[in-house]
Amino acid sequence: MKKNTFYLLGGCIALVLLTLFWYSVEINSPLLIEIAFVLGIILVYILRRRVTDLIEDERSRKITEKAALRTFQVFWVIFCAFSIGAVMQILRVPTFPRQREPMRPPTEIFPPEIMPPKIMGYVQLWLLCLMIFLYVGFRFYYARKYGDWEIDEE
Amino acid sequence: MKNKIKVFRAMHDMTQEDLAQAIGVTRQTILAIEKGKYVPSLDLAFKIARYFNVNIEEVFTYEPGVQAVHID
Repeated sequence: MKKNTFYLLGGCIALVLLTLFWYSVEINSPLLIEIAFVLGIILVYILRRRVTDLIEDERSRKITEKAALRTFQVFWVIFCAFSIGAVMQILRVPTFPRQREPMRPPTEIFPPEIMPPKIMGYVQLWLLCLMIFLYVGFRFYYARKYGDWEIDEE
Repeated sequence: MKNKIKVFRAMHDMTQEDLAQAIGVTRQTILAIEKGKYVPSLDLAFKIARYFNVNIEEVFTYEPGVQAVHID
């Protein structure tokens, strides 16, 4: 398979996934897009192995490894910081009534302060975007550092 | 790490693309090695030297004290 065909098929898979994502939101079923996403990525990996004119040598592999390692080194710290916060939400024991809100009537019962799923979703989205940006940024940085955009003297 | 790939290419009247195809790497890798931006692995260094039918020391020269740009 040619490189361009692979990119074209990759674009088609992305479009299908986007449509399924929209449909999943419409029918309120996250399982559909979750399964489709995993299958889509597996399909992309299979297609990539069939590309014949895509040369991946030791330098490009090293750049990818280096970018992935640096992304991991930065991302796990941020991810753990968020996760620790989330774990604290689980371990928190609610107190009734809250002492910091003395103006409320004592008979009113407040639910424990758990991070709402919507906020969790936003944070996850932010983390996902951060990971992608970090990887792309590091990829560009190391590609440039190790001569991807050197001027040819030939 | 200095190298004379460019010299050997000129002697064999080869382009970077020709050499890259012959040893199975990208043209950018040959360019990066020539410019000293990337130090190749021993395997790749031997491939290049073998391709030109010379010893590895004739193509690559190690210079102590010179900071090598290496991905590790």
